[in-house]
Amino acid sequence: MKWIRRSVLATALIAGMAATGAATAQEQPIKFGLLQDFTAVYTFVTGEYNQGQRDYLTLINEEGGIDGHKFEAIVRDTGNQPQRGIEAYNRAKEEGAILFDFLSTPVSRALVDSVLQDAVVMITPVHGRGDASDGETFPYVFPMMATYWSQATVLAKYIEDNGGLEGKKIALVHIDSPFGREPIPVLQDLAAEKKFEFQAFAYPSPGNEQSATWTEVRRYRPDHVLIWGAGGGQPVSVREAIRNGIPAENILSVVWLAETDVANVGSDTMKGVKRFEAVSTGTDSPILQRIKEKVVDKGLGAGDAKNVGTSYYNIGVATMAVAVEAARLGLEAEGAPLTGAKLKAGFEKVTNFDAEGLMPPVTITAQDHQGGGAGRVSQWNGEAWEPVSEWGAAYQDIVTKEIQQGAAAFKQGN
Amino acid sequence: MFYRLAGVHHTRYETARALWPVPADRWQVAIVALLALAAPFFLSSLYLGSYLLPWLIWSAAALSLTLLMGLAGQLHFGFAAVMAIGAYSSIHLARFGVPFELALIGAGLTAAVIGSLFGAAALRVKGLYLVMATLAMQYLVDWVIINVPAISGGAQATLRTPSVSFLFIPLDTLSARYYLALGWVALVAIFFLNVKRTSFGRALVAIRDKDFAAAVIGVDPFRYKLMAFFTSSFMGGVTGAVLAFCYYRAVTPEQFSFNVSIQLVAMVLVGGLGSVIGGFLGAGFVLLVPIILTNLVAGMAAAGWFTVSSNLLAHVPLMIYGALIIGFLLFEPLGLAKIYDNIRKYFLVWPFRHSRS
Repeated sequence: MKWIRRSVLATALIAGMAATGAATAQEQPIKFGLLQDFTAVYTFVTGEYNQGQRDYLTLINEEGGIDGHKFEAIVRDTGNQPQRGIEAYNRAKEEGAILFDFLSTPVSRALVDSVLQDAVVMITPVHGRGDASDGETFPYVFPMMATYWSQATVLAKYIEDNGGLEGKKIALVHIDSPFGREPIPVLQDLAAEKKFEFQAFAYPSPGNEQSATWTEVRRYRPDHVLIWGAGGGQPVSVREAIRNGIPAENILSVVWLAETDVANVGSDTMKGVKRFEAVSTGTDSPILQRIKEKVVDKGLGAGDAKNVGTSYYNIGVATMAVAVEAARLGLEAEGAPLTGAKLKAGFEKVTNFDAEGLMPPVTITAQDHQGGGAGRVSQWNGEAWEPVSEWGAAYQDIVTKEIQQGAAAFKQGN
Repeated sequence: MFYRLAGVHHTRYETARALWPVPADRWQVAIVALLALAAPFFLSSLYLGSYLLPWLIWSAAALSLTLLMGLAGQLHFGFAAVMAIGAYSSIHLARFGVPFELALIGAGLTAAVIGSLFGAAALRVKGLYLVMATLAMQYLVDWVIINVPAISGGAQATLRTPSVSFLFIPLDTLSARYYLALGWVALVAIFFLNVKRTSFGRALVAIRDKDFAAAVIGVDPFRYKLMAFFTSSFMGGVTGAVLAFCYYRAVTPEQFSFNVSIQLVAMVLVGGLGSVIGGFLGAGFVLLVPIILTNLVAGMAAAGWFTVSSNLLAHVPLMIYGALIIGFLLFEPLGLAKIYDNIRKYFLVWPFRHSRS
């Protein structure tokens, strides 16, 4: 009966904390639940991503917060397991978190309904269900950066601007999972519109063995190959593509290709490979400079200093930059204390926010929670990811069609 | 002293065969049942919804699997797939307009039919080869769910459960869902306790111990193995449906992946093969200990007890968890149920030293 005693005790403790918490609400920090997968599937991104998120919150706190409101991150490991995510979510919610970032498809899918019901904000930057861009169907879910659909269109636009799409053969080589299949409908619609040939090739999860798939790709003789995987599958895809005679310049990747993959493939082999980029890489932007100066150099950083400025670190910084901006707008418009509903209103007021040049300008409205879907293509030049196109969104009419279809299906229960 | 045996003597076969002949055991069961029934009134929704509810449902799953693994001795490494079949078929049936009560049974039957189909194919092989055959089932079912949009629910591969009611009680509130799960796990536990005393259960035990010896004494191994697969898959299917409707309320293929199958096997093994209390303890251990450890370690780090990088911090609970499993298996290879049994036997004769078995 120990567990009952323990849980009764814990309940009493939490109730007591809540009671005392109400009295000191003014000094309470704004809490963000960063309940991510540090130990299972998303390990390739979570460490750097989460470090960027926390360093940015530390920077804001060091600079005095927003009108005196400080931020606190509740960080927990969910191991990519929905049941652990549900527990962490409910606990963080009781502790007062009003924004959640799970960075895990199974966990965020399992919690979409709870978030909508509990009126707290869930952000799904560069991952998560694309149809959540429809703010009217998903009032509390914010992809807030280019979804996978928009990433596919940005990559397609790049091909069109650099040699044209018409008559080309484009192959999508993807992991056999819902995530891997996500860009297919958008690319099929584009193929019909722009008159290019498109074929999808799936490799089995988790993707460390893809040779059979790439033999087929080779037979297809594509002009360009989009690789759509994450983590350990990505370096395998790049290596197999090059082995099967596809020039590195013709390989384009989803957002999940970063410094680690370069190290795994080999910097020289990787030279020329392109990827979608939602946030600029490196430490040139003013925010990164300030993080270095006020957080990392003071020893307040959340992790290894050499991660600062990596692709995923910067994505983490950008997510929190948008979230903090939304909190500022929410507080400005509705006053303290900030709640989930006020934060949501703040998000929908974000206009042309580019985090001091770190990312493309984002405008989130009550209808469009994606914020425009802009991004750019960058290329590995042997030393760094070098941008080869301007920030911009592409073919959003096709993306919007997908969003509406998905949102309609969600209303029917999918 | 705690388990008073004085006055417990049997004059009729019924009392001797009772589930709990000792009054102290009956009291314990009654108290646990009362606490479980009253849980929605004294537990916060966090502990009810995120700890007790999943624990009960996974206990039902572990009990379903232990019927096959513990009683009949057939290894099954694809039980999450069985639950997936149950979950998906119940949702599709409920959407089609079938009453939820019938959808549950339908889910069980679908899972049972498909489960015993694979079982039948697997019955020519034993041991590790059976593991491979059931693994194949896991991957086949996963593949079919992901690749058939009509099953998985389209591009986003998420199916939300429609709102339903069970025996005129709508499953909208957490308490209602909790009571349904409690009812189901109680049913499974009572079935399991009793099946051991039936000819069916004894036949399964005979097959587990030596299948050709069982054949010699007139137990048809093929038939009984198939029945074991059928029964176990039926219960697994209904449990999958209960999991979908009472806990997740939105199913995705990842919720029933290979990892979950391994977790279920771990629950059965850590808990103790073939025992009811082992099913509950094993499910609690595998499901809740990682969560409790994560919160404990995070709390200690927040309080400044030790400062490590967040990456290491996330892995510390896993290390402790692994050490715990190894420790338990070294200390008592027969699982948590055996530890419970040892404690019970100690108190059975307390304050004297020796217990009889």
